[in-house]
Amino acid sequence: MEADQRFLILCGGEILAVAVGNLAVALILQILILAVFLDDRRGYPVFIAAAALYAAAVAISGHILLPLLALGVALGCGYLALTLYDYRLTLWAGGAT
Amino acid sequence: MIRPTRTTGGVAALGLALAAVAILIESPAAALGAGSLGLFILWRAGRFDRDFRALATSLTVNREVGRTILRQGAAVTVRVRVDCTHPPGMEVRVRDIPPAVATGEAPLCRPGETGVYTIRIMAPGRTTFGGVTLSARDPYFSHDLRIRHLNAPGLRVFPVGSAMASGGTDSGMRDLEVDRRAALDGPSVRGFRLYRMGDDPGRIDWKISAKHNAFYVRELTGLQGGTPLVAVDLPTREENDSEVFTRYSMVVTDAVEEAIESRAGCSLLVIAGGEILRFLPGTEDVGEAFAALSGLAPIEPRVPLYRAPGPAVLAARARLPGGEGGLEKAFLARLGGVLTVFARESRSPFADAVKEALAWVDATEIHIYTLARGDVSHLGQLVRQAKTRGMRVVVFAPAGTPILPGVDAVEVI
Repeated sequence: MEADQRFLILCGGEILAVAVGNLAVALILQILILAVFLDDRRGYPVFIAAAALYAAAVAISGHILLPLLALGVALGCGYLALTLYDYRLTLWAGGAT
Repeated sequence: MIRPTRTTGGVAALGLALAAVAILIESPAAALGAGSLGLFILWRAGRFDRDFRALATSLTVNREVGRTILRQGAAVTVRVRVDCTHPPGMEVRVRDIPPAVATGEAPLCRPGETGVYTIRIMAPGRTTFGGVTLSARDPYFSHDLRIRHLNAPGLRVFPVGSAMASGGTDSGMRDLEVDRRAALDGPSVRGFRLYRMGDDPGRIDWKISAKHNAFYVRELTGLQGGTPLVAVDLPTREENDSEVFTRYSMVVTDAVEEAIESRAGCSLLVIAGGEILRFLPGTEDVGEAFAALSGLAPIEPRVPLYRAPGPAVLAARARLPGGEGGLEKAFLARLGGVLTVFARESRSPFADAVKEALAWVDATEIHIYTLARGDVSHLGQLVRQAKTRGMRVVVFAPAGTPILPGVDAVEVI
């Protein structure tokens, strides 16, 4: 399947998940849609666990903005961690021991 | 840093749109959609990073070069094969990086393939390959990494016309490497003069000598201004950039070779900070000059001068103008006296050593090669000593280098 077609399926699936309204159904739909989107599903359970945790946080908090902000912070931390790993890899590539 | 592909950009845009919808209509399902897409991107980035690291660390490069000792400008064929553990779903390409002083471009190869290309080394000296560029991409991210330490084997390049490059049948060179000189090649005779002690006996003209019953030697064109003194200023280790230093050493080697070829000899002075590392007075042998230049590398400054101007500069400063008024004149005279005493008392072993070296070589011109970084007071002292002897000073330095007082010409390297 072409990447563009998959992306259209992803968009359609997201609209469906939002239209359903139920958080549990939306989570299951999300996992199924993204699984279709992937070729190589190594480590996919890790993502499922993270998404389930996030869904639980949304359900428990009862807010919309708070979980989104928390997620933004988590993504920023993840970006910093990746930058650090990349820096170490660049040092190694330059010949540093 | 890893770069997102168009697909990842689309997913991120969709996530942002869902976040906006979630805030506007207060939909938990939309917030979940936005969050899970963000997590999805982060998860994919982490996985790509882990796979890429495994790929990079498993990389082995087998590079075969036709010859590792070759002549400047000679073409050499490089065969490079790269092997690695290939993570699934990742597209991998590797490009070899030729030496910095070589022309030619390596093809982009897949792991397991053998890439063949030809390079031409344009400058003499020792050089190595620049490593390889590892490019990997999956549907969500891509990354290019230059791995410099995979740079074996080293190459040794001799300049055109040197003894090694034009070696005999057992030198291991092919016919291509032979650079046979024409019989009439070389400097022509400008005139004759009486033989002096230390002159090369090979330059004695026996016909003229027999005619006048005294030894006469030939003076060649290009020697009118005397052989130059080439001064090489080594950078300190903390300023070291291997690629820049490689280029710098190539330039120096080239200059020494050119000086010997065109002016039938040169003297060589290698300095680092306030220290003379090597000194080779008046050589006509390219091999000897290259031996003196071999193994040079940026070093730790062992004798820092702490920006001291040296006695010659102090003495110049002591020669103050007379002044106009009686008080000003008296003040300047006293200041001049104080500075003169300082100049007399101030001793610089470096300046003394340079002075002796300059007296030894009897050159009329000094060519100073430098990267001109950090403290250049030793260069100031060198220039001042050269000017004291009436020498012409030419500095070869990177563009934008501040011009030292007393320098006659600056050329960009």
